[in-house]
Amino acid sequence: MSRKASSKISRRRFVEGTGAGLAAAAVVPLHAQQQKPASEPAALAAASVPRTRVKFTINGVARSMEVEDRWTLVELLRDHLNLTGTKIGCDRGECGACTVLLDGKSVYSCCQLAVWMDGKTIVTVEGLAQSGKIDPLQQAFIDHDGPQCGFCTSGQLMSAKALVLRNPHPTREEVRAGMTGNLCRCSNYNHYVEAVLAATAKSATAGSGGNA
Amino acid sequence: MSALNSVGRPTPRIDALKRVTGAATYTADIHIPGMLYARVLRSPHPHARIRKIDVSKAQALAGVKAILTRENCEIVWSSGDTRNKRYLFNNPVRFAGDTVAAVAAVDRHTAEEACLLIEVDYEILPFVLEPEDALQPDAPEIQPGGNLSPNNQGKHEPTIERRGDVEEGFKAADHIFEDHYQTPHINNAQLEPRASMAHWEGDKLIVYASTQGIANCRSDIAKDMGLPLEKVEVICQYMGGGFGNKNQCHDFDLMAAELSKRAGAPVRLEFTRKEDFTAVHGRWPTVQYYKVGVKNDGTLTAIQMRGYSGMGPYRKGAGDISGAEVYQVPHFEKTSYMVYTNKAVSANFRAPAYPQGVFALESIMDDAAHALKIDPLEFRLRNFTRKFRDQQPYSSSGLEQCLRRGAEKFGWKQRWRPAASDAGPVKRGVGMGMGMFPSSLGRSNAIIRVDSKGNYYLHVGVTDCGTAAKTTMALIAAEALEAPLSRINVVWGDTDTCPYSVGESGSRTTVFTGQAVIEAAKDLKKQIAEKGLPKPGEFWRADAAPNPQLRDFARYSFCAHFAEVEVDAETGHIRVAKFVAAHDSGRIVNPLTAESQVKGGATTGIGMALHEQLLYDRRSGLPLTAGYYNARIMTHMDAPEIEVVWVETEDPYGPYGAKTLGEPTIIPAVAAVANAFFNATGKRVRELPMTRDKVLGVLSEGALA
Repeated sequence: MSRKASSKISRRRFVEGTGAGLAAAAVVPLHAQQQKPASEPAALAAASVPRTRVKFTINGVARSMEVEDRWTLVELLRDHLNLTGTKIGCDRGECGACTVLLDGKSVYSCCQLAVWMDGKTIVTVEGLAQSGKIDPLQQAFIDHDGPQCGFCTSGQLMSAKALVLRNPHPTREEVRAGMTGNLCRCSNYNHYVEAVLAATAKSATAGSGGNA
Repeated sequence: MSALNSVGRPTPRIDALKRVTGAATYTADIHIPGMLYARVLRSPHPHARIRKIDVSKAQALAGVKAILTRENCEIVWSSGDTRNKRYLFNNPVRFAGDTVAAVAAVDRHTAEEACLLIEVDYEILPFVLEPEDALQPDAPEIQPGGNLSPNNQGKHEPTIERRGDVEEGFKAADHIFEDHYQTPHINNAQLEPRASMAHWEGDKLIVYASTQGIANCRSDIAKDMGLPLEKVEVICQYMGGGFGNKNQCHDFDLMAAELSKRAGAPVRLEFTRKEDFTAVHGRWPTVQYYKVGVKNDGTLTAIQMRGYSGMGPYRKGAGDISGAEVYQVPHFEKTSYMVYTNKAVSANFRAPAYPQGVFALESIMDDAAHALKIDPLEFRLRNFTRKFRDQQPYSSSGLEQCLRRGAEKFGWKQRWRPAASDAGPVKRGVGMGMGMFPSSLGRSNAIIRVDSKGNYYLHVGVTDCGTAAKTTMALIAAEALEAPLSRINVVWGDTDTCPYSVGESGSRTTVFTGQAVIEAAKDLKKQIAEKGLPKPGEFWRADAAPNPQLRDFARYSFCAHFAEVEVDAETGHIRVAKFVAAHDSGRIVNPLTAESQVKGGATTGIGMALHEQLLYDRRSGLPLTAGYYNARIMTHMDAPEIEVVWVETEDPYGPYGAKTLGEPTIIPAVAAVANAFFNATGKRVRELPMTRDKVLGVLSEGALA
């Protein structure tokens, strides 16, 4: 019995295959790729990848840039805008480490394409602090020892921020439900929840709903 | 216990601000101009011989800079297997996920495309997944010499530990209990995926690793790359968790180094989440057979255990099944088989040998208590260990206080009822478990410098994998120097600026490196007393490399966990409603971050009890749940509130009497949940995880009779 090559599907193909309205990024069947003669392999080189100009606002700054149609939002942030506070934990919509605010709502940035950002407003963890002052959620995360290894922390913060924007004084159950898309393998869930409750308690001096 | 100034005070992490603002730089955040991206091609088969690899199409793809396969790279990854020669690329490939090739290219998309263009001609070989099957005479041979991995004497024989004579013990018993249990392969599943960035400055190799131990990572890389130690620098400033699977160097560090050498450019190698689940390692799965002798009054007379651990095809981990020392028993025998299989590799994961063993052990002890109509708490108070292996005194033991104070906080007396007391569809029950974990002493280093203004620079080779090690070291230094914490500047995570430190494994950093910090501080204080502070621009410096050893004592941390569960007999859902964790880890250096450790460890243990596993398809030998969603790690919605009870014993060893903490936290949690399920339903799930199918299965036992 003998089999040839791997049948792995790359992220690019997956996103291309499932992303609607991406006619420009031609979906070439995998077997066609492999049967292509070695003399013309450059078809996939970066130069031939379709690009699109998009305009968006990131952490309060208006940007216009050309993005490759295959880039995800998290790739755009980390590799091309040097905003590495947003992490990649799974790159497949399971862990929440890449959570950002898109028009005020929390999204997994590994599941958004950069070309979809035209006209959008994005806030990352780097945009939480306002005029040099960190967000009350960030301060509560420090005080309650939310981050252990810290890798999920940006995502936890952004989910908490999205929650607080729509619900300034959530209950414990609402916090758990609002942040349950954000995994923490250090499993410091108790402290994350305590931190959000402390930052959003009615008695807390500074509300955390005003920023972003 | 006498109060101290800095140690014992709840203190936020000294690097917390960086962790909440996105400014903390993890390995994959490092960008070097001109760097390449690397991806790995892996075996899609559980066992196969590679007849031929053709990389010509991949090589011809524009943007591809270097490709490694077994045909052009013979580097051995020495810490990847302690018994056999494990190459970076092996032939035959021995598990689905074994390495076949690595590609460096101008961007990750090109590297991924190149992997797809590599043509591999596999000759499929028969495979075996379960350790007991792998020991059958007709099982496919995974490593030369057979599937029973050699023991520490190098013999293909089981490892046997014996004390007294179990047959005598069984004769002295009034009751004999026998049962068997099974635990699955579980991935460490730390949030930060594997990444390694390597580049060469002349003949010096610099590796930005994601590691729990920069010192052992460096010495491993030097050894495997054939370089003198001083020609390797390992840097890890922030690290996104590992729980045991990021200690030492890994194959990806070596691949990145070799690809970088051949391509003449920096290379960042990144793993996908699926690779992280299948291609690194997880907790070893076990099958355990127990026979226990008990007298009418509940006193133990003998424990006999035979265990099989599935190590995957390479012997990266020890494979022990531990925890029985927590019981006082005159006759004991343990026979352990560490077995090669064609599943993913098994090695360290938070208290590597313990939660599996304690789950099984505490299950059979609970059954014994139930049969003899003894309260499970009373049964443990009667039988808990007084001396290590009934022979050696402990340097300190708070186990009894963990049991008593934990039970009090939990309300055990009010909550415990005989098994299966609830008639309705939702059944409530309580359970407990106890555990212990070694807290040895040993060598580690620290350097402290002081400047003219009285600012201290503490150089310690820690990476801080999430344990708050940097803050712990700073608190110990502040205490020992009698200086405010704000004066302590920690220099960490770089082998060129930090001395050797024990890796952040075995929960040893606080004790080992903390002791070195105290020694260095003593020396520096003496220098300052003699000479005053140095002139501007100068420093006094103290180096310490203590290597304390225990004599006459066994040194352990102890714990007891208590859980209440609600079992929905109609859906099979188990909810943990209440949880108390009582811990003796000696003096607690930082109660704030220590509490995070306990809550996190216990929660991870609950996940192990209830739903985590890397499930394999028996027919194809392929992993089915390699990802967060299917492996079902704990989420915000699953996590109960964990109440922590500190039992701070006075221990004469360790920095201010501190003992280990990180790993004990997971040990009895699994058993506490399993025993609570038994108390709720009167039925026992003997194979983890206790998923709904198994729950409904045991609840319907006898229903059709």
